[in-house]
Amino acid sequence: MSVTQKEIKTLARLSRLEFSDGEIEKFAPEFEEIIEFANKINEQVEGDTGSIREVVSRTVKWEDLREDEVKESLPNEKITSNVQAEGGYFPVRRVVK
Amino acid sequence: MKSVISILSSKLRSGEITSAQLTEQYIKEIEKHNPTLNAYVHLTFDEARANAAAADKLIKEGKATALTGIPFTLKDNIATDGLPTTCCSKILQGLKPYYDATVWSKLKAQGAVLLGKTNMDEFAMGSTSESSYFGAPLNPVDTTKVTGGSSGGVAAAVCANIAAYGLGSDTGGSIRQPASFCGIVGFKPTYGAVSRYGLIAYGSSLDQIGPMTQSVTDAAIVYDAIRGEDKADGTSVPTPDGKTVLNGDVKGLKIGIAEEYFDGVPSDIKSAIDGMVAAYERAGAQVVKVSIPALKLALPVYYIIACAEASSNLGRYDGIRYGFRATGYTSVDDMITKTRTEGFGKEVKKRIMLGTYVLSSGYFDAYYKKACLIRKAVESQMAEAFEKCDVLFAPTAPNTAFPLGYSGGNAVQTYLSDVCTVPVNIAGLPAISIPCGTDKGGMPIGVQIIGKKFDDSRVLDVAYFAEISGLSETADFKGGVRV
Amino acid sequence: MKYRLVSGLETHVELATATKIFCGCTTAFGGSPNTHCCPVCTGQPGALPVLNKKVVEYAIRAGLATHCTINTTTHLDRKNYCYPDLPKAYQISQFDKPLCEHGYVELESGKRIGITRIHIEEDAGKLVHESGFTYVDYNRGGVPLIEIVSEPDISSPEEAKEYVEKLQLIMRYIGVSDCKMQEGSMRCDVNISVMPEGATEFGTRTEIKNMNSISYIEKAMAYEYERQIEVIEGGGKIVQATLRYDEHTGETSVMRTKEDAQDYRYFPEPDILTVVIPESKVEEIKNSLPELPTDKLHRYIDELKINPATAKLLYKYKRVCDFAERAFALGAGVKNTVNLIVGTLYSKLETEEDKEKFVLPVSADEMAALVKLVDDGKINITLAQKTLSAMAEEGKPVSAYIKPEDIAGMDDGELESICRQAVEANAGAVADFKAGKEKAIFALYGFVKKATQGKADIKKADEIIKKLILG
Repeated sequence: MSVTQKEIKTLARLSRLEFSDGEIEKFAPEFEEIIEFANKINEQVEGDTGSIREVVSRTVKWEDLREDEVKESLPNEKITSNVQAEGGYFPVRRVVK
Repeated sequence: MKSVISILSSKLRSGEITSAQLTEQYIKEIEKHNPTLNAYVHLTFDEARANAAAADKLIKEGKATALTGIPFTLKDNIATDGLPTTCCSKILQGLKPYYDATVWSKLKAQGAVLLGKTNMDEFAMGSTSESSYFGAPLNPVDTTKVTGGSSGGVAAAVCANIAAYGLGSDTGGSIRQPASFCGIVGFKPTYGAVSRYGLIAYGSSLDQIGPMTQSVTDAAIVYDAIRGEDKADGTSVPTPDGKTVLNGDVKGLKIGIAEEYFDGVPSDIKSAIDGMVAAYERAGAQVVKVSIPALKLALPVYYIIACAEASSNLGRYDGIRYGFRATGYTSVDDMITKTRTEGFGKEVKKRIMLGTYVLSSGYFDAYYKKACLIRKAVESQMAEAFEKCDVLFAPTAPNTAFPLGYSGGNAVQTYLSDVCTVPVNIAGLPAISIPCGTDKGGMPIGVQIIGKKFDDSRVLDVAYFAEISGLSETADFKGGVRV
Repeated sequence: MKYRLVSGLETHVELATATKIFCGCTTAFGGSPNTHCCPVCTGQPGALPVLNKKVVEYAIRAGLATHCTINTTTHLDRKNYCYPDLPKAYQISQFDKPLCEHGYVELESGKRIGITRIHIEEDAGKLVHESGFTYVDYNRGGVPLIEIVSEPDISSPEEAKEYVEKLQLIMRYIGVSDCKMQEGSMRCDVNISVMPEGATEFGTRTEIKNMNSISYIEKAMAYEYERQIEVIEGGGKIVQATLRYDEHTGETSVMRTKEDAQDYRYFPEPDILTVVIPESKVEEIKNSLPELPTDKLHRYIDELKINPATAKLLYKYKRVCDFAERAFALGAGVKNTVNLIVGTLYSKLETEEDKEKFVLPVSADEMAALVKLVDDGKINITLAQKTLSAMAEEGKPVSAYIKPEDIAGMDDGELESICRQAVEANAGAVADFKAGKEKAIFALYGFVKKATQGKADIKKADEIIKKLILG
């Protein structure tokens, strides 16, 4: 299965990453190699693989779900402590030259 | 091997030394060795001194536990309230979380002393710690070699006696492999035995926090201090009450050897492990051959699942709430893309792309879904193997520490070095890596002891036999705080 | 050519739990920005979600009330997309195994609108765009939602309106949401396509996002129906697209087309284990469901013989019904009770919301006491209305307004003498009545009412007066 440069661009868009054409050219064969490696799993298992639900096997008991009891939220200063907050908001300037 | 924690703890309790004094000793040694080793990336000496003062108070009040007053380190992906936690990534530059990881709360309550946060591969993605934004830590055994990864900084700090112990995280071998490269003990508990709350996620269904120590005894002490169900982590499980009992009795123990683990493993590593197993046999253990064919697929399965989860887990780094934010953009959307493009390193981007690929429509069934099914097969084949034996012995890695900058030829070659460690994560099992001699070049070799789910104490106890019978010795670094 | 409209709705309903779906923060509406937040709902690295039991319970309630089957083994999935109001860059939702499936909502015509599925998920935060900045507030982030997806069974804007109103009513009845569209606790995405009458294949559909008013839904649907027909008649093709509705122009416009559609890369949420719901729990929830609105309406009309118009005014408000039914249980007659509620109490409750909340200082006991006086002919309806109105204003019991001597009743002799006075004093009216003008008798009623200060039983007075006039 080969991965086209167009596919890489789509993946980059979904991943919110940017690659220049030059970078993609370098990246494509490396990526292909990894996909090739991942393809090993397809050589081994044949036929219908059933529902993915069958593999999500650990379960939580009803009693162990969280009760609907309010816990105090953190103060705004803490919540926004990693940015220069404005009026308690997380601000993002829409254009920065 | 000696129990550094026990020795220090008794000195602290007898009043021979205070935690404040001990902490200053460690700080001095960090200042001396860290510039070379690059084990720590964030030093938290103010916190350490405050922790030490609190610890001395606990000791005076007679409320000390085994870890009270003992200086240690956390990997840089474990959240610490008000203290830098950056996963050694540019994108988390300056992040100081506003809450504590459960493991840090637990240790803090016992009077543990946090010296700093240690180096790692960016977002724990790697086996050499060289993808760290802060540059690679160096292996104290030989500073031309890597520490292994991703918990390379913890391994270096513990090996060089500039932390009495540390907590690492293990998604595909990130505790065990650097422990083996640096000649120390690294224990990855059963998935869920230790809360992940506050561990910055890489592969959520694989990640597990565990101790990295100078001895098996120390690993058991630290494990006991951090384990147990946590209401904040729905995937955590209750662990047995009471302390882990170590008696090192291996009479009648059934050691399973799976050929698949030894495929392509160099002879010196293989014979070191054979030697270790033979010593167990002499003490009354039995060797059983087992077969786990699905192991061959464990590595690609691991990369598919870990990267799929990572691509989702790392989506949140958008520059809005914390960390690095790019400048020079035309919209919020553009800011996010630029921030991620400039903030993530090459390996992280590659894994995000792979994860996006295997989850995207059209490929989901062929990769992610199939990987989940094979994961189940690995799990059940390992469970079957444990019907015939109590523990499995295997190499921790198919190699010893690489030279710095060694790329192994290509991306996949580097991934291959995880081949012995990932099955345990895929199946959620407990496993310990303990030193097992050295290779021709004098670099430490690690042997891995793997147990069935929730058999953590058994794994520790089996390893303890090697500790008390002198079969396993940690690397002897001639500096740091030697006890 | 005639075209059929084919529409299905995706309705988001905020659940009225006390805490968010994955953390203990309050779900209270509003609040200063980023004050109902914690590491979990702001997506701090390392924080983990823990599922709120009540959310599952409420979703099951919603499912049972819309005749769904409940998947007792259920799982959450991650829906990956990057947007500033979504702090983890994925929404925890449900993909291939929703909690509830295969239900329906019945319209008054008896037509059933199928419910494909109901699943649980988390709400996103809010963005404020102002003077070159985007400001992010995560207070709403993590508030629990259910998404109710209907089958494409809706064939007119009127049906859509009724369907949404019915859903609203059901959700309010079972207490899982206040469904306030203006506050965003209920929002709809409308899928719509047209097909020539008699055709068997659906046309290409468009989706109008985020409608927050029923009248806009109707208008947008009507507009989009015409637009699609126009495109087709003009020889064009409908492009599958997501649209937004501009409430000022009344038109729809394209937000994005299929080409730049998202790939959400759903996969099972690894941080939350598969939830197994005991059958007994489902049974327990089923047993705790109140009578549903449609059943109540039918019972009011068929069994209690309330006239349909009045019944419809009542059944929309569960608290009102509860109040009325308590009064019935205390022996109050149905007819007088409902007339007093609709006639007198509703005038005190101007808005829908007031009626919904139904906060009045009149207890069901006092209501029953008052109604029984009317039922027994001890006071007439006018006095009852006046009294009830005062009770609702002042919060005092019936006894504060009507003294025992007032209701001792009027002895027949006294009433007859007053009726006699009425006949004598209204000779003109009597003559008119005799001449066939039946309404003329009202003048005499008025006289009696005035003279007895409303205490007289007008039915009895009527008999006496007629006997006096007609002999």
